[in-house]
Amino acid sequence: MLTLVLFNLTNGLILGLFYVLMALGVSLILNLSNVINFAHGNFLALGGYVAYALSPYMGYWLALLVAPLVVGLVGLIVERTMIRRVYARPHVYSLLLTFGLSFILQDFCRMVWGVNGLPLSIPNVLNQPVSNTLFFLTGYRFFLVGVVVVAVAALFAFLGFTRVGTRIRAGTLDLDTVSALGINIGLLRSFNFALGIFLAALAGVLAGGQIGLNPNMGDDLVLPSFIAIIIGGAGSLVGTLVGGIVIGIASAVTAIWWSAGSEVVIYILMVVVLVLRPRGLMGEEGMMT
Amino acid sequence: MSMLEVRGVTKKFGSLVAVNDVTLTVEPGELRAIIGPNGAGKTTFFNLITGFFPPTAGRMFLEGRDITNVTATDRVAMGMARTFQITEIFPELTIRENIRIAAESAMGLRMKAWMSGSDTARVNDRIDEMLVATRLTAQADRLVGELSHGDQRSAEIAMALALRPRILLLDEPTAGMGEQETFQVAGLIRRLHRHANYTIVLIEHDMRVVFNLADRIMVLTEGTLLAEGTPQQIADNAAVQAAYLGAAA
Amino acid sequence: MSATTISAAPSRTAKPKLHLLIIWAALLTAPAWMGYIGGYDALASRILVFGLAAMGLNLLLGFTGVMSFGHAAYFGLGAYGAGFVLRYWVHSTPLAILCGILLGTVAGVVFGALMMRRTGMYFAMLTIAFGQICYYVAYSWNSVTGGYDGLRGFQRAPLDLGFTVLNIRDNGVLFYYFVLAIFAVCTALMGLLLRSPLGRTMIAIRENPRRARFLGINVERHILISFAISTFFTSVAGALYALLNNFADPTSLYYVISGNIVIMAVMGGMLNFWGPLLGAAIFVTLQDYISSMTVNWMSWIGIIFVAIVLFFPSGVLGFLRRRSASK
Repeated sequence: MLTLVLFNLTNGLILGLFYVLMALGVSLILNLSNVINFAHGNFLALGGYVAYALSPYMGYWLALLVAPLVVGLVGLIVERTMIRRVYARPHVYSLLLTFGLSFILQDFCRMVWGVNGLPLSIPNVLNQPVSNTLFFLTGYRFFLVGVVVVAVAALFAFLGFTRVGTRIRAGTLDLDTVSALGINIGLLRSFNFALGIFLAALAGVLAGGQIGLNPNMGDDLVLPSFIAIIIGGAGSLVGTLVGGIVIGIASAVTAIWWSAGSEVVIYILMVVVLVLRPRGLMGEEGMMT
Repeated sequence: MSMLEVRGVTKKFGSLVAVNDVTLTVEPGELRAIIGPNGAGKTTFFNLITGFFPPTAGRMFLEGRDITNVTATDRVAMGMARTFQITEIFPELTIRENIRIAAESAMGLRMKAWMSGSDTARVNDRIDEMLVATRLTAQADRLVGELSHGDQRSAEIAMALALRPRILLLDEPTAGMGEQETFQVAGLIRRLHRHANYTIVLIEHDMRVVFNLADRIMVLTEGTLLAEGTPQQIADNAAVQAAYLGAAA
Repeated sequence: MSATTISAAPSRTAKPKLHLLIIWAALLTAPAWMGYIGGYDALASRILVFGLAAMGLNLLLGFTGVMSFGHAAYFGLGAYGAGFVLRYWVHSTPLAILCGILLGTVAGVVFGALMMRRTGMYFAMLTIAFGQICYYVAYSWNSVTGGYDGLRGFQRAPLDLGFTVLNIRDNGVLFYYFVLAIFAVCTALMGLLLRSPLGRTMIAIRENPRRARFLGINVERHILISFAISTFFTSVAGALYALLNNFADPTSLYYVISGNIVIMAVMGGMLNFWGPLLGAAIFVTLQDYISSMTVNWMSWIGIIFVAIVLFFPSGVLGFLRRRSASK
């Protein structure tokens, strides 16, 4: 029983980390551009597939870094050519736009790489089980946790200590003031969008090594990442981080005795938070209202 | 009893103190002007009175009732109506329809999905009354977006009047207007005050309008009350001349 | 929002209602000509059903200016509500529709009340999330909802009018007219609503929420009312959808359907009363055609979404109006 609980807790943590990477990207884009990116999960899948395409030429390690950069660039192009054109319009348009993009991207992956799942092979060194009794603690899982921790730490350091990062945070709080200071909001938003996509694609490469690749591999992560943001609280990336891990673990723990409830529990958590603490766990007062 | 009493209200935005411990008493039938240089906190003060956001400290009373924690919507029901610095009106509707929305709201018909003939007649009567009061009858069925600035402002005031307010708050009613339009709107305010005996508080930039219309004037600078008194007292006040009129010159 | 052209001041248009004549003539004769343009009775019924759903959504989206990306929930609950009655309780089409409406609208009111304090994108995000709750419940609660396969094994019942029995079960054309009758009642109600004080309040909120607040309008409460009314009509459509298909499945609750309903409203022209119906006609037909022609239907649907947003944001009717205005 203890093994089972530990097994599920580990699964939950891993799942939570994927939620975190996704939700941080969605949150960055939402905070600065006020756009909900429905296609975020498809950028995740694209990240996995690009790594799959690149790794025969450059090896896994380099692909792990290059694939997210490539997909980030795709994100940048998408933002410059399409997304930016709806910033000034009512919300409905950006939702419909990213919704449509999500369809196109998913179909693109299907056309290029096929409907059936593909394996993303990872170096053997990562495949070794670390413990005989706790079979689920593979090297890959430790590696995955490590990469996510490094990526998230780097993101927070970037936002906290660099000039561009500071501007992104300032833009989240008060866009008018930032643009009044003569900062180019358009460029900032483009970069920020690409950064969010980079995180999604990184999650895609990592997920590919865990569960393999398929065209809709990101779909199940998109809505939970919204929930992570709602639970964490509007405007707070730390909240998003906590929210993602909480729902990941809650979902996996629920699966121990109620396998069908692993998705429902996320939504139940959301409703509970909304009723008891409307601004979310760490949200600023008034940001969401 | 005073119509409006504001006791020591303060509003902070983060570390910025926009309004600092300001007190104001307005008597029934009075026309009070609030003046001050740009950034003096006049509009913030207005927003506090009308419940746009809550004060950091201080209390407010409307006809003796504490309204400090009453929402903007409920303050309207208690008899407070306002206009905005930038005319906020529904430009794609006619003047008549704009006033209709206000009249139905004031008459408690908001929730109704249908109306009886007598309700409709009552609403139409109120609309006509407001059109006459603001001299807009001839333009009643034109789209607000097509009208002159002065007529738009009159229409906005007509909407406020349709709420049957006890007190009317006008935020720079002549802002951005030419000579002719300023004259039109100032004339309307004078009529409402002198003939219909409305209690009015207005923020105004145009000193001719202020000194011609106001019973009393309060001067704000940097969020604090600098002076308060009759137009004559304000004109003679050395501090006002130094701080306000000096700054404007 | 205020830069938009509005046809929603119904009291000022006294022109002869030519467009009404055209719309109703087309709808009444649809079964006669659908076949010639490659259509069929069920397609015509489906257009009406989604048209009604999109018009219901549009009371909120187009006329109150509030975004919902979760209306599939109320559509799907309408379908399940109707399905439950026919599958587990009585063989009655009217009761099925009533229960569908009840289920969808009650959920709309409860969810709406929970969401109402948020605005903008967070509100939109919550509408999606609440919609997904219904999806996962339907998906997981196998014993009642039939899970992934959906609720099957029921058929719409013939309509007993007392003096005669309309066999809407086996006669597709008759069923179409049954749907059309309900559609007519619903659109009449919506039209009356928009001419009422409540309708004017909704438009006031869309045009300028701040101004509305200072006219003594309780904006949050009226958005909730508008939301509830809109879920009511969308759940009517959902109930009819279950009757049309003789099943209710989880995809009818999925957020993709929400997106489809929104694009229908936008595609036709969300500032026009009839816009969503036109959008539904175009979208449902295109979807039907594309999915039978190519395996890459997803790309095509996606391209439609993107093209509408980037090139025809005011929809077909908005586009036509601008064209005729510039001539």
